[in-house]
Amino acid sequence: MLRLALKRSLRLGPAVSDTPSAAMVASRGYHERVVDHYNNPRNVGSFDKEDPNVGTGLVGAPACGDVMKLQIKVDEDSGKIVDACFKTFGCGSAIASSSVATEWVKGKQMEEVLTIKNTEIAKHLSLPPVKLHCSMLAEDAIKAAVKDYELKKAKAAPKQE
Amino acid sequence: MWNRRKNLLLSSLSLLRHISSSPHLPRLHPLKPSHLLCPSNSFLPPIDSQLRNNLLDLPRCGFPRNLSSSNSCSSCWNCGAVGPTSGAFLACGSCGAVQPVDASVDYFQIFGMKKMYEIEEGDLEGIYKDWQKKLHPDLVHSKSEKEKGFAAEQSARVIDAYRTLKNPLSRALYLLKLEQIHVDEEKTVSDPDLLMEMLEMREAVEEAKDTQSLKEIQSKVKKKLDSWSNSFKEAFNKQDFDSAVNCTQRMKYYERALEEITKKL
Repeated sequence: MLRLALKRSLRLGPAVSDTPSAAMVASRGYHERVVDHYNNPRNVGSFDKEDPNVGTGLVGAPACGDVMKLQIKVDEDSGKIVDACFKTFGCGSAIASSSVATEWVKGKQMEEVLTIKNTEIAKHLSLPPVKLHCSMLAEDAIKAAVKDYELKKAKAAPKQE
Repeated sequence: MWNRRKNLLLSSLSLLRHISSSPHLPRLHPLKPSHLLCPSNSFLPPIDSQLRNNLLDLPRCGFPRNLSSSNSCSSCWNCGAVGPTSGAFLACGSCGAVQPVDASVDYFQIFGMKKMYEIEEGDLEGIYKDWQKKLHPDLVHSKSEKEKGFAAEQSARVIDAYRTLKNPLSRALYLLKLEQIHVDEEKTVSDPDLLMEMLEMREAVEEAKDTQSLKEIQSKVKKKLDSWSNSFKEAFNKQDFDSAVNCTQRMKYYERALEEITKKL
């Protein structure tokens, strides 16, 4: 059902169908990695926003009306990101960018993921220039998620004293 | 006498400056010399009809097309009739010849409307069809290659104008563009309220099970779009361009949601 939901939110080419990815690549020119993330979405979902170990990054691109939500689950002792998930409404490139972002942040320290650059995501997916802002959105989402987690932690800390 | 007037109008404007005091010159439209670009600065010999035709085929880029709202110096390349003093000169009123595209004429001028957000949308279609009756390439198939080319470009431009002005969001963005307001499309927004609202809206659209619930969502979204559309109008009229841009961003989100709903319906 989630895949169906994803497919509906994609605007991939003349028709969204269940045909094999090769046809899509040929007709529209999406890189096979983008198509892979579309056909085999990783980490789609939601964590509980109220969970103190969850940071939620919510960003949008006004030019195309895209919305991207990226969430991280952090181990508070080690500061490592143990899990991540995303939900994106937008084009195939936006979905693939956020999917890649969730894969890359898993198992990393928070400071480390702040260094993930949109250009790396774009290169990994071979995004055309017109879709570069999608990777930028993913980078911003990661930063927003980390920021949200740190804000939560800061708010929680004084209460414990 | 009429031919001479036409020739002088078409020819070098420095010529006019030199002989403006001449009693032989017919009265011409008031042109500001400082705005004029002179294609050539030589006196022309007495002109015979062959040379006149060649002159008529000269590219018109040397002409002061960039005079703001006045087209008083445009004249038809075919018959020399002077174009309207106001409004777009797309086709000649005298001989019907299609004119080359003048990019300085904006979409509102093409439709004879004031440059503002609230327009009579109902009037657009009628004016659009009137123009197409004069400009459409299918109607000029018996004319010269040159005119067919003009027709194709003019017709395409009128279509663009019609589409841009008809849709409120594109009209709003076009108005901002005319005011030279540059909207940074790359910038991401992180207004949590707006995004949360949009996320929930899009999720609701995805999860809607039947036409009824989709239509309910659709009417809610349309109401929001209308209300933000009004906000844009107010902000724009007050020249509060930051708010105006913000309104267009919201409108974009609502339009996307509406598109998704339409796809599902």
